[in-house]
Amino acid sequence: MNQNDLISYTQSSFHGGIHPAEFKTISNQTPIDCLTLSDKLYLPLEQHIGKAAKLIVQQGERIKQGQLLAEADGNFSANLHSPVDGVIESIGLINTNHPSTMMQPGIVIKIDDTSQGFTTSSSDNKDWQSLSQEDLLRQVQQAGIVGLGGATFPTHIKLAAQSVDTLAVNAMECEPYITCDDRMLQELSDQVIIGAQIAAKIFSAKQIIFAIEDNKPEALSSLEKAIIQCKLAVPMTIKVAPTKYPSGGEKQLIELVFNKQLPKNKLPVDIGVVVQNVATLQAIYQKIVKQQNLTHRLVTLTGSQMEKPGNYWVAFGTPIKDIIQKLKISDKGTTIILGGPLMGQQIDNLMIPVTKSTNCIIFEKQQNLSKPWLTKSIAHQSCIRCSDCESVCPVDLLPQQLYWYSRAEEWEKLEETGIKDCIECGACAYVCPSEIPLVQYYRFAKTHIRQNHEKQLKSEKAKQRFEFREMRLERAKAERALKHQKAAEARRKAAQDNNEDPSGKQKAINDALERVKMKKQQNQGEDK
Amino acid sequence: MSLSSPFIHQSKTTAQVMALVCLALLPAIAVQFYYFGAFILINLTICSLSALLFESLIMYLRKRPILGTISDNSALLTGLLLGLALPPLLPFWMSILAVLFAIVFAKHLYGGLGYNPFNPAMIGYVVLLISFPAEMSAWLPSNEIATKVPGFTEAVQLIFTGSNNQQNTVIDYRLLADGFTMATPIDQLRAGLHQAKLISEISNDSHFTAGLVYWQWLNIAFLTGGVFLLFSKIVRWQIPFSFLFGILITSGLLYLYDDQAYASPLFHLLTGATMMGAFFIATDPVTASTTPKGRIIYGLSIGFLIVIIRVFGGYPDAVAFAVLLLNIAVPTIDHYTKPVIYGHNKGDIDE
Repeated sequence: MNQNDLISYTQSSFHGGIHPAEFKTISNQTPIDCLTLSDKLYLPLEQHIGKAAKLIVQQGERIKQGQLLAEADGNFSANLHSPVDGVIESIGLINTNHPSTMMQPGIVIKIDDTSQGFTTSSSDNKDWQSLSQEDLLRQVQQAGIVGLGGATFPTHIKLAAQSVDTLAVNAMECEPYITCDDRMLQELSDQVIIGAQIAAKIFSAKQIIFAIEDNKPEALSSLEKAIIQCKLAVPMTIKVAPTKYPSGGEKQLIELVFNKQLPKNKLPVDIGVVVQNVATLQAIYQKIVKQQNLTHRLVTLTGSQMEKPGNYWVAFGTPIKDIIQKLKISDKGTTIILGGPLMGQQIDNLMIPVTKSTNCIIFEKQQNLSKPWLTKSIAHQSCIRCSDCESVCPVDLLPQQLYWYSRAEEWEKLEETGIKDCIECGACAYVCPSEIPLVQYYRFAKTHIRQNHEKQLKSEKAKQRFEFREMRLERAKAERALKHQKAAEARRKAAQDNNEDPSGKQKAINDALERVKMKKQQNQGEDK
Repeated sequence: MSLSSPFIHQSKTTAQVMALVCLALLPAIAVQFYYFGAFILINLTICSLSALLFESLIMYLRKRPILGTISDNSALLTGLLLGLALPPLLPFWMSILAVLFAIVFAKHLYGGLGYNPFNPAMIGYVVLLISFPAEMSAWLPSNEIATKVPGFTEAVQLIFTGSNNQQNTVIDYRLLADGFTMATPIDQLRAGLHQAKLISEISNDSHFTAGLVYWQWLNIAFLTGGVFLLFSKIVRWQIPFSFLFGILITSGLLYLYDDQAYASPLFHLLTGATMMGAFFIATDPVTASTTPKGRIIYGLSIGFLIVIIRVFGGYPDAVAFAVLLLNIAVPTIDHYTKPVIYGHNKGDIDE
């Protein structure tokens, strides 16, 4: 393949975007390592979008590495496997990164031997190409693979799409600090490519496009080499986009790569595209080729409070306190962020475990990160309507209007102004000179709007039920009235017939009544 | 308080933005100082101090943090803008009155920074203009052609007491050698046209040309500050450019129609408060349109109205009125110029 055809630069751009300091070199200079285990793992049952998985093991049960612990409950759920050999110590509520900070159902595993690592040496299945699409899809589903970019959408649902011709691989990794995709491409791009080929085979894609920002030259060249060496069927190309946050957002990526916007209320599959993250494809490779379920993931552990920042294979369920202990991270004045600094989540509870969605953990000095509005005497300055937020919004909203309506709690206006199109990327809050926590306002408003809709739906249902009951009672009443009327008519008619009785009908009736009376008397006699 | 993303922030803050805008006023202050001497400094001091004072008072009454609010520098900016806009030698209490209306009525009675629909400085200016038209339209002759040039102490006496120790009043300082009082070029032009003079005759008048030179330098100074704001990305190009373009087109058409009855576009661009309005007044983010297209409509309309009011109206300048009129129109402009949201079609308002 001609190199010029292989790599091309994006011709289009998306509206707005920001260029924050990247801090990527903190963690992308060292080879991938494996984090050694501590004594226990804390596995939440809900590590994906959709219902929590159904537990199929019992307390005290001995389990093996890769063994199924909990089964997908419904199609949008995902399987969960054990990362280690060990014993189920307890089942109950554990700490998770759930935004409510409430504890969630989970399993605590006592690890047998803490030296057991993340092995890549299990048996190869070189022959995956002979497997059918259904077999491959079933295996992906069994492995419990979900979108590892952070969205944790079950991968088998995306791969089951019909009439899709393009697999777009999201290697943008646009958020500062995070380098796990970068590093994975530098070291394991052959695996990622095979994963992509498998995914492409599952839904009969005609092409694979890797989308990557131009701030990852090493990853790009490694990917390029791997593609040139690859002998597999589906043609692969690379699209390079200029570094601009949030180019890794699905909608922004589509605009960059395909030079068109995803119409509202549509999914990528509706325009013939499936978007998968680099790490997800590697997980598919791991399953199909290495026969390993998803039990570990590559996590960027970074920040100025770390001695050895880098990318590590971490077993799901590893609590942050163990990471701090193993990697000798200073916890004085340290702010811990799960995910990136623009869309991540600050956490205080060190018992929160690494899950399928954890792509990065930042251990940073408080003063380098702390949000300005928390340290100042007044909450934040007033909005001066400078519209800097408008000029950086990647979905072309008017963030200053959304803020205005959120403060005024004008829910309908908020919907009209497009709050549900907000992707919460945080670009607006990043540039806001008044340091207003805009995203927090939007989340608050979204929650309210959702609750209002639910309430509306509920009251609508209650109203329908009430109206139906009224109608039913009304109908029953009408039916009764009709019956009474008919009976009365019949009586009247009978009376008339009685008066006339030309054909001896009345006599026949009287006879019948006589017989009934007799029978009754007989029955009574038997009862006594 | 629950902590939520993002956790990083660029360094530019509202207080810095305001401070930089204040800084960008320096060339204009220098020009006024050169032509009128100490007055401008006294004016600026009175206006900015009273602005801060009024804002503190309101914050005290509203039980809000005083220092946190004053340190956003927005009151200081309003004070400085008024100080530059008001004529030199204006009695001190008039300046304070203007600031009172700007800060208390136009800004804080509407809820403070960010909530005021009208440009505070322009409200203060217009209140004075309507209440004291004579004082507001009288300008000092510049030092080059003045019969008397007051020093610093005299300036203080004149502003605070109305006369100096030689019993000279403000009016004496306004007199020119030939007994006329000094007026702005726009006023002179209007008066001349009323007397059925041709523009070529009016522009031969030495007073007119002397005034013109001062106003041109002042406008160039504001333009310099404005370009600085453009380059430091505090002001976006849309409003100033469309503002100036509106003036250019409107006055250009009139000029082409009759160059002896209507002044040239260059005259309109470099006199009065044109450049101040284009870069420092119309660009006030709080009261301007906030959509990309809306800003163009907003600027163009102000430019158009400025020329119309200057040419057909009776006030010394039109920037304040034009800006305030468009301030009223901002919600409507914003409503009809919303950008099309990603993935939506043009014109489909949700649902």
